[in-house]
Amino acid sequence: MPPSIHPVDLVATLRQRHLTPAIIFLTSRRACDEAMQSFERSQVTLPTAQREQIARVLAQVTEQFPSIAEHPLMETVQRIGVAAHHAGHLPSWKIAVEELMRTGSLDAVFATTTLAAGVDFPARTVVVTQSSIRKARDFTDLTASEIQQLAGRAGRRGKDLVGFAVITPSPYIDLTVLTKGLTGQPEPIHSQFVITYPMVLNLLKAHPREQIQSILAKSFAQFQLNQRTAVLETKLDSLRAEMEPFGPRVCSDWITQWQVFEQARKRKKPRSPFTRQESPDVAARLHFLTPGRVVGVTRGRGIILRQYRSKGQHAPMVTLLREGGSLNECPASIVTQVFDRTFDCEETSSYPWCTPETVDQLTHHLAELPPRLPILPILTHQHEDAPIDSSIVQTLGDFACPTCPSRQACQRDFPRASRVRQEIQRHIKSIQALQTSLWHRFQERIDVLERFGYLNANAQLTADGEWARLIRIDHSLLITELIRAEAFGAIDPPLLAAVMASIAHDDDRPGSFPRGSAGLVTLLFQVRKLAESLAPHEAPPMLRADVAALTERWVADQTLTWIGLARLTTMAEGDMFRLFARTIEFLSQLKTLKATHPSLAESAEKAIAAMRRGVLEELP
Amino acid sequence: MTTNELEHLLMQQPVSLLHRLARGRISRHFRSGKRKLVDLLLQASAENRPGLESDLQALIEQQAQRPQPQPAVQKARPAPAGSRQAAPAPSRHHRHEEHGHHEPPVSLHEWLSGIGVPPPQPFVPDAWQVDALAKLAETDVVVSVPTGSGKTYVAIEATARAMRENRTVIYTSPLKALSNTKFTEFSRVFGPGQVGILTGDRREHAQAPLLIMTTEILRNLLYDAAGGEIDVRLDTLGLVIMDESQYLADPERGVVWEETLIFCPSQARLLLLSASIGNPQDIADWLTAIRPTPCSLIRHTKRSVPLRAGYLHPNEKLTPLFRTAGIPYGQPHLLHPEAKRLFMEYEEETGQARSR
Ligand SMILES: Nc1ncnc2c1ncn2[C@@H]1O[C@H](COP(=O)(O)OP(=O)(O)O)[C@@H](O)[C@H]1O
Ligand SMILES: [Mg+2]
Repeated sequence: MPPSIHPVDLVATLRQRHLTPAIIFLTSRRACDEAMQSFERSQVTLPTAQREQIARVLAQVTEQFPSIAEHPLMETVQRIGVAAHHAGHLPSWKIAVEELMRTGSLDAVFATTTLAAGVDFPARTVVVTQSSIRKARDFTDLTASEIQQLAGRAGRRGKDLVGFAVITPSPYIDLTVLTKGLTGQPEPIHSQFVITYPMVLNLLKAHPREQIQSILAKSFAQFQLNQRTAVLETKLDSLRAEMEPFGPRVCSDWITQWQVFEQARKRKKPRSPFTRQESPDVAARLHFLTPGRVVGVTRGRGIILRQYRSKGQHAPMVTLLREGGSLNECPASIVTQVFDRTFDCEETSSYPWCTPETVDQLTHHLAELPPRLPILPILTHQHEDAPIDSSIVQTLGDFACPTCPSRQACQRDFPRASRVRQEIQRHIKSIQALQTSLWHRFQERIDVLERFGYLNANAQLTADGEWARLIRIDHSLLITELIRAEAFGAIDPPLLAAVMASIAHDDDRPGSFPRGSAGLVTLLFQVRKLAESLAPHEAPPMLRADVAALTERWVADQTLTWIGLARLTTMAEGDMFRLFARTIEFLSQLKTLKATHPSLAESAEKAIAAMRRGVLEELP
Repeated sequence: MTTNELEHLLMQQPVSLLHRLARGRISRHFRSGKRKLVDLLLQASAENRPGLESDLQALIEQQAQRPQPQPAVQKARPAPAGSRQAAPAPSRHHRHEEHGHHEPPVSLHEWLSGIGVPPPQPFVPDAWQVDALAKLAETDVVVSVPTGSGKTYVAIEATARAMRENRTVIYTSPLKALSNTKFTEFSRVFGPGQVGILTGDRREHAQAPLLIMTTEILRNLLYDAAGGEIDVRLDTLGLVIMDESQYLADPERGVVWEETLIFCPSQARLLLLSASIGNPQDIADWLTAIRPTPCSLIRHTKRSVPLRAGYLHPNEKLTPLFRTAGIPYGQPHLLHPEAKRLFMEYEEETGQARSR
């Protein structure tokens, strides 16, 4: 038995069962194209009426987008009534396929699962062949939301009485992921708020620094942080209630008194559990190393399952769930970063310190985490929990405790009372951190912008800041620094477009078009050097030379046709289109700098005009 | 046990058991399908073969002690000679499963029945659509309903109403391709001069009462307005519609949705259209907290066209996926015995094909 059904047989089966039109989601663009090819040899004969309808719709769309007249698949689609729809195609072709589906002219469309959100046309049936998709170079299981998004295309209102989602297996399919996704609740969504340089500049342009915190408080990020705060506050209330019996006794702060007394007594054993030997930043982090917290370690990331002190040394330790699901006991100092991300962790009192389900879930979460996570800024208190002053120790005789009437009560209650008190402090700190974390991050960005001279010491925009705030795209710091370094002095439009293309392009699909002009090679080298020097403050772009060269050629050689250009590279047409569209977007931001950088703006304008021809002119 | 025997035994186990066995042995085992998992386990067994074998035996034993949830299937499938048949589903769902067994599984014939085109009917808006439009007269509105329910109708009616009151409308979508589709669609509805589109550097009919743009463009407009450079006439803006608002959770672009919502002018009504998400009430509560007008939530989870799920075997055999014709919400284990049998067969055969 073949590992998956042949596309021609699949469509034949669907036709026979009256399950067409169908959208068939496949793993990759290549799979879609291969499926199409497998039809070329097949002997499908469409009813005449259907063929005519397809021809009619295609003629209509061609009127609007003349470029599709030459599309190599035109004829195949009319002959077999099946098409492919994926990001490798030009938007105009995708519009044609969508229109064909909307008019019910096709039997099936092969589409990639990755772009399900862009598939905004319905069908009677949706066929699913996989349970995971590639995200950031890794395969991850489809979520319930994603599966329902796919299945949502099945059943056209007004045209179908029922819709069908058909699963057909292919290697590596996990049926449970799909059945759970179909029957389950969509996942809640979480804020992905980040503070960008343009955001900081634009906010500080319109508002004084004092108002920023209240603006950040309006974010969904803060709303969700507040929800977590509310949970902590409820816990804090119950801890305070637990603390009630431990109120003032003979001395008002008996817990501290007893603690100091105990320590003084045991001064021969200086490493009591309450003497913090660790460095201040480790100590400051400890409050955040709570079960479920995502942290960065020297190599990779992990999730804290437990915090404790080692038996002998009383060194702070954590149980860490590493990527891949292994559990490690390590000193807390191994943690290099505390991320602003926690997951629910159902704790238990013995190894592995949480329920097996939690281990599974956390392992899964860990694998799913995006490559970059917000770091929790942690304030280090240098004097916190300093070792006891030796003068106190000297005066052990002065303690009233040994003869105090509440001595027994203090001795009995101390372990619990001090634990609850610590918990209370930990909760208060966590709540503070949740309330201030956005502002801390904003402040960090202000510091960088101040260092580079976009803001003055009062966090007001400098002359450079005034124009830099108009650059509101990815890699804005690199772009504004390039402008300030006069890398674009009296730059030619082709060169400018080429550099912007290499900054804008963030796809790692291989392409081949290695030769750029000598000027471009030198300029890209400079850009790369600057990008690397900015790496601590902004992730560098890929700066691919091949996409730069391709763009340079397109702008420089006005006689080059789109098809001629496509022949020069292995890039798919859809990717070329997206590259140029994004480059034009980046260039148009440079165009807004007319007042301060007239020659650059002019060059950008010329580059845009030169890029907009052929298929790039068809869409608004 | 020889490696072949071990592999054979592993192949016979349900994936859930393999995952449990893989825990701590294989990184990212959740990513792997069954065959991949077995391969990885075999590789990992090089390190501590006896450990793996004894863990495997222990897990199989545990599994065997659980009640067998699907005796019918067990009988229907002759166990391969000399092998132990694994229990297919974890016992957690046992109670539901037995409940489902009271009814016989749906037949293919029943499952396929009712395919067809409904008779043409005059358009009658759904109750939730009417409700959303009524609420929008007083408050901001978040709509979270399944894909294909008819959110566009709400957008169009709300736009028409704002236009009648001489207010401008901005409609945002996450993808340029979707913007183009909507531009065509709305131009058909409202007339070509009435609809404009703004993209990175292009503007068509920028003075039209309805403007379509990506969310990034709107965010930039709002920053320009705040910075003193008024671009589009935001003072007459009466309504902002954000389609596919679930993009709020997009790792790269979600922040733009937040910025836009935070800075959206207070005199404009907000209409957020979203596919089904788990916590739409949070979005509505958030907007209520930060905007002068409260925000209402319109949500439902019922699909307007009922959905059925099927399983198509590579040998072209089609069967219902679940025991019920419709989707058994909340009961993923209610698999149709035939689908279950075929899929087990698939796993076994493709697994054996690979090991040969
Ligand atoms: N009340 C209704 N009665 C019948 N059909 C409707 C109704 N509302 C919307 N539709 C149809 O449902 C289909 C899907 O609508 P659409 O707005 O695209 O869904 P979505 O919620 O995914 O945006 C459209 O063809 C539309 O005409
Ligand atoms: Mg829609």
